[in-house]
Amino acid sequence: MIEWSETHASIRDSIRKFCETEVKPKIHAIEHEGVPPYEVLRKLIATFGIADMARMRFAGQIEKEKARLARAAAEGSTPDAERERAPRKPSPEAGMEMAMRMIPVIELSRYSPGIVTALGVSMGLTANAIMARGTIAQKERWALSLMTLETIGAWAITEPGSGSDAFGAMKSVAKRDGDGYVLSGSKTFITNGPYADTIVFICKLDEGNEPKLRKVLSFVLDKGMPGLTQSKPLQKLGLHGSPTGELFLDDVRVGKDRLLGETEEQPARAATKETFTAERTAVAAMALGLVEECQRLSIDYAKTREQFGKKIGEFQLIQLKLAKMEVARMNIQNLVFRQIEMAGEGRSMSLAEASACKLYCAQAAMEVCNETVQLFGGNGYMAEYRVEQLFRDARVLQIYGGTDEIQISQIARSLLETG
Amino acid sequence: MKILVPLKRVSDPDNANKVKVTGGKLDASGLEWKPNPFDEYAVEAALRLTENGTNTKARVGEVVVVTFGPKEAETTLRAALATGADKAIRIDALDDALDGDVVARALKALVDKEKPDLVLLGKQAVDGDSNQVGQLLAEYLGWPQATFAASIKSNADKALIVSREVDGGALNLKLTLPAVVSVDLRIVAPKSVTSIHTPATHTYPDGVRFAALMAIMAAKKKPMTEVKLADLVTDAATKIKYTGFELPPSRKAGIKVKTVAELVEKLKNEAKAL
Ligand SMILES: Cc1cc2nc3c(=O)[nH]c(=O)nc-3n(C[C@H](O)[C@H](O)[C@H](O)COP(=O)(O)OP(=O)(O)OC[C@H]3O[C@@H](n4cnc5c(N)ncnc54)[C@H](O)[C@@H]3O)c2cc1C
Repeated sequence: MIEWSETHASIRDSIRKFCETEVKPKIHAIEHEGVPPYEVLRKLIATFGIADMARMRFAGQIEKEKARLARAAAEGSTPDAERERAPRKPSPEAGMEMAMRMIPVIELSRYSPGIVTALGVSMGLTANAIMARGTIAQKERWALSLMTLETIGAWAITEPGSGSDAFGAMKSVAKRDGDGYVLSGSKTFITNGPYADTIVFICKLDEGNEPKLRKVLSFVLDKGMPGLTQSKPLQKLGLHGSPTGELFLDDVRVGKDRLLGETEEQPARAATKETFTAERTAVAAMALGLVEECQRLSIDYAKTREQFGKKIGEFQLIQLKLAKMEVARMNIQNLVFRQIEMAGEGRSMSLAEASACKLYCAQAAMEVCNETVQLFGGNGYMAEYRVEQLFRDARVLQIYGGTDEIQISQIARSLLETG
Repeated sequence: MKILVPLKRVSDPDNANKVKVTGGKLDASGLEWKPNPFDEYAVEAALRLTENGTNTKARVGEVVVVTFGPKEAETTLRAALATGADKAIRIDALDDALDGDVVARALKALVDKEKPDLVLLGKQAVDGDSNQVGQLLAEYLGWPQATFAASIKSNADKALIVSREVDGGALNLKLTLPAVVSVDLRIVAPKSVTSIHTPATHTYPDGVRFAALMAIMAAKKKPMTEVKLADLVTDAATKIKYTGFELPPSRKAGIKVKTVAELVEKLKNEAKAL
């Protein structure tokens, strides 16, 4: 893939028009007045028929899974083995589906990487976690309404004492209690935490053993369950379009129906790594939106702002900024294209590749946003010009979904192990 | 009801500052294209007349969109197909070789072939702002016409009551089909278009509809045909001759005044505005 196709461009133009007419007028309220982003996101989903598409995809996946389970039962193998055996075939539709997921992310990121995060965590991360490891009953109960954004989801692993070392230092626990479990612990920095209807809560099974050896389990919680408290949104540097909060669990009793996969033997660590990979690849699309917007604004400003009797675009130091933005834009766009191409081939990035992609895109987007503020001078620092918000928002790309340092160590580990 | 909607792509009006003139000719290279907004309103009105607003997937009429232009102009047609139009026709022609009169004559020939009940157009294209095609076409066809429609009420798809805003009120015209109607921007208000197919209680969202993502993909499979301009008009001579283009003079830099008195003095003696 070397450029967007005509169909891609039509989708982009349509989403762009929606952003201009529906998102732009609400940005101030969302970014500065604490208005949650869900209403405008639901309008997006309804306008473009995304919920209908999700319903179709869901029905198809459930049908396939039922067939797989039937096959496994007939042959006496495990459903997981069946899953592994199923070859991933190239399909242009899968490429198109990936593009259709990326394009709205790119376009929305021009206005608000925050609302993209709120959307991605709910429809993407949380729904995918349930779709990847839940039982059919759990998928029908929680995942479908997340995929259509009828409900809002949160995915909670980070704790006050465990961030980068998510599993090692994790304190949240589940204790067996009759047929079910009692959950306790607290989570922080949870996207959509304050408003979530459905929460995937990741914790360790306390069997009286050493914490390091404990199994990792995921549970699905509903808003309003006795013992569950969802905090108000936390104040933060940027990303105001995405409410972030804390969760407190004080002896929340749950049945086995809320244990993801309904088995303690689920490979939760592996599943969580899959979630990380998906999270990391989405950063490329967000970075592309940010960089394209910054570059567009910068070019306009360079052509109109005058100092020393010249357009500032005539100064070589300003030209250098524009040229570097173009290099970043080309590289990030190529990484987005690569992901679409891979999806069409029935492949996806390995964790190390996704880490390298995320590391580059996050740093490049931050650099471009920083240079854009610089190019705008004092105006760049003022809220009236949008680059100030984009600059603050871009900063999070180097922190969430694994910090830059963690990406680096994962890339290096992979090189040293296999290289 | 079968409706023909002529569409034009225009250079994005937000990019007016990118228009270049080289050698007395307009240079369209590097410009972004958008559908003429009034034409988009015409498509929206046509769709509303040919559907039940409570179930827009089932069509109860036909909307044919047509444009004049090179192959790339098909993008504009496909966007209209994605929002619900049923088929598209591109009349292969270059912008330079057209004026309102040639377009109207070619459309007349197309109407003779396609036999629509109604031709619905935007009141004007926002590039040249000529505001001629609808009126000329009605004349060439000998059909009744209504211009600048703010609302359209279809009487059992046999006649239309078309309302136009005029100073101090509204002018209502009753037209027996077939007819030519050009639309103004109010036509996309929630209750501007009514027909027997949509319950009177139904309210449309304000403005032009968006295409669902699946519909954008499906638009590739809808019929798109190409017709040569020469197959429609034997005499392709334009009545308007463009002799030259020039950009408006760029605005002179402003000056800063120190006091109100100085401002008043300059307004009076230099600008002669007071
Ligand atoms: C806006 C926002 C939204 C978020 N949303 C969610 C969410 O929805 N769900 C969720 O579970 N979490 C979420 N997070 C949490 C996020 O994933 C963590 O903040 C992130 O993983 C870093 O963890 P930490 O904050 O504890 O930093 P720490 O892990 O304490 O890191 C502090 C510093 O030490 C460095 N460091 C740590 N370990 C190493 C090492 N081994 N080598 C070198 N350097 C190291 C880090 O890179 C960093 O610079 C969100 C965070 C933010 C800011």
